[in-house]
This record gives sequence, structure tokens and C-alpha cells, in this order.
Amino acid sequence: MGFVNDTHMAQIIPPTMFHCVTGTWTLAAGAVAGTIAKHVAATDETSVITIPVTLPSNSVGLKGSYLVSIEVDFEILVADCDALAAVVNKVTRGADGAVAVVAAQTFTYDAGHDSAAERIDVDQHRMTLTLATPIWIDNDEYVLVEITADKAATTTMDFLAAVANYTARL
Amino acid sequence: MGYVHDTHMAQIIPPTAFHFSTATITYVAGQVAGTIVAHRAAANQTSLITIPIMIPSNSSGLKGAMLNSIEIDYEILVAEPTSLTWTLNKVTRGADGAVAVVAAVTKTNTLSAATGKAVDQHRETITLTTPTWIDNDEYYLLEGSMVAGAGGNTSDFLGAVANFTLRL
Repeated sequence: MGFVNDTHMAQIIPPTMFHCVTGTWTLAAGAVAGTIAKHVAATDETSVITIPVTLPSNSVGLKGSYLVSIEVDFEILVADCDALAAVVNKVTRGADGAVAVVAAQTFTYDAGHDSAAERIDVDQHRMTLTLATPIWIDNDEYVLVEITADKAATTTMDFLAAVANYTARL
Repeated sequence: MGYVHDTHMAQIIPPTAFHFSTATITYVAGQVAGTIVAHRAAANQTSLITIPIMIPSNSSGLKGAMLNSIEIDYEILVAEPTSLTWTLNKVTRGADGAVAVVAAVTKTNTLSAATGKAVDQHRETITLTTPTWIDNDEYYLLEGSMVAGAGGNTSDFLGAVANFTLRL
């Protein structure tokens, strides 16, 4: 029945898939012509941006997608954030009549984002979150990356996309 | 160049990919911390929740994805609606200058009408009576029609999962 084991797969996740809570969010052109972004207007507030990692899964163990890391492309504009941090959550779906169960996954930031100061400055950011223990995604599970951005009064942000890096085994 | 025939594939479809009409929808945190939902505000109206089934297709017959079933995770909160019914449609895309053609697909549900609209967490599974290979000129939409009734009903939609066979 054939066998694929490709360790270099990647999946783009566009900003239209991002789930944004708190803030005035708009779909806007990116800072570079031809790009797209989800833009949050300036207000001193804490916004939560959750990225659904839309990879295929598989009901058989050690098959489907083995999630290794997620990269998030965003820009902080005008003024630094006060704080910005990420969480990687694995959600196990509830059976009918039961709630979902959320488990935070251990990960590391890339060298350019492993201090708080590096994550909040006005700049273009590609923040890579690498799982300490990559996970095979079961069909009853999915992964959400949650970014909490504490913005200053004049901070605006553009979220361009995310990329999930994974092994596909079929 | 190889051959894959995997009957256990699944694809998460997040609530941000759902399409809502006749509803006031906000994207908020779910009831369980760390989850996300599309939240329907209370109103005595009939809302349509349409879920695009985003799995690969193929222009060769019997290849690509064979759709077997779709699971929907949602919660009915506060008040029970009058009804919630699901219709699965196959859309054949129109050629340039022509409209799309929609055909309802025969399927079964795991939840009874009464159970599926009760105040509770729900996982509804829609199973195609005849699983189908998806041509590149086709796609599937799962449409939920919620008649809220006098109670208004609030509800949270967490996501959906499409179960399919992948043949490459």
C-alpha cells in the first residue's frame, strides 16, 4: 500500500484563519504591497490571537502528521508591545456530552525571540515555536497556538500568516 | 512514484473557516480555557451554519480524497433551540459563465433530533451513505439550520473534522 515519510512538510495558515479576541481587527493589505494581514488598531489592551494548526491527522498511531514547530509571521508597528508570549495547546475533543481537554505543550522560542524584550519590539517578526516533544496528531486532537499581546496605547500589529512544519507519514 | 491508500485520514476545520448567515457571531474564548469558538448570540431567528469541507481533491477518478464522514463539535448553551438540522451538499462548480450545481447528499446522523438540540456539549457525526471521491470540480458544504425559537438560544461552534480516505 505504499509508504510516505516526508520530514520536510509545511503548511501555510493564512491570517483569515486566525481567531482574534479583544481589539479592533480588520483584514487589511500588509505593509508590503501584495501581502495580506489581520490588523489590530491601536489601543492599550491585551489581545489574544489563536492560530488553529490545520494539519491532517490520522486515527492510527504514528501516522498522519507529526508536528515539529510553528512559525508565526507578524509585525509590531508604531510602538513596542508591553509584553508578548505564546502558548501551544493540544486540544483533545470531547465526546458527545463532554467538554474538550486542553494540555499546554512544552516548547522553545527561537534565538531571536527567547527573551521577552525580543518579542515586543517594533519590527518584522518570524517567531518559531519548537515543540520539546513533537506530537503525532490523532483524529480526536488538534493544536492551537495562542499569542497574548499586551499592546501599548499606540501599538498596532499585523499578523501575516503562520507555517506549521511537520512530518507527513501516510 | 509510489502509492498511498490511507483510510484513516482526518482534517480539522476551525470555526474561523465556518460561514454564518442570519446570526450575530463573535469569535470568543470557548467554555474550556484554551479553546476557541464562534459564538452565536441569542436571537429568535433561523441561522445557517455552513462548513466548507477543506480536503484535497483530484481530477483523476478514484484518487485524492474519499469523504466518509464529518464530525461537528458544538455546544448548545442557555436555551434549547426549536430544531437543529444538518444537510450535506455537494457543489459542482460552474464553468465560466455558468452557475454552480448543488446536490443534497444522503447521510445519517449519530444524534437524534432531540439529543442534538439539547443544552449540552455535542459531537455530531454525519456519515455519507455512499462515500465519494471528490473531483477537482467539486466540493462539499455541510449546512446546519438552527431554528432558535422563542428561547433565543446561544451556541458555541468549536470546529469540525472531516474523515476521509487519501489515495495518491
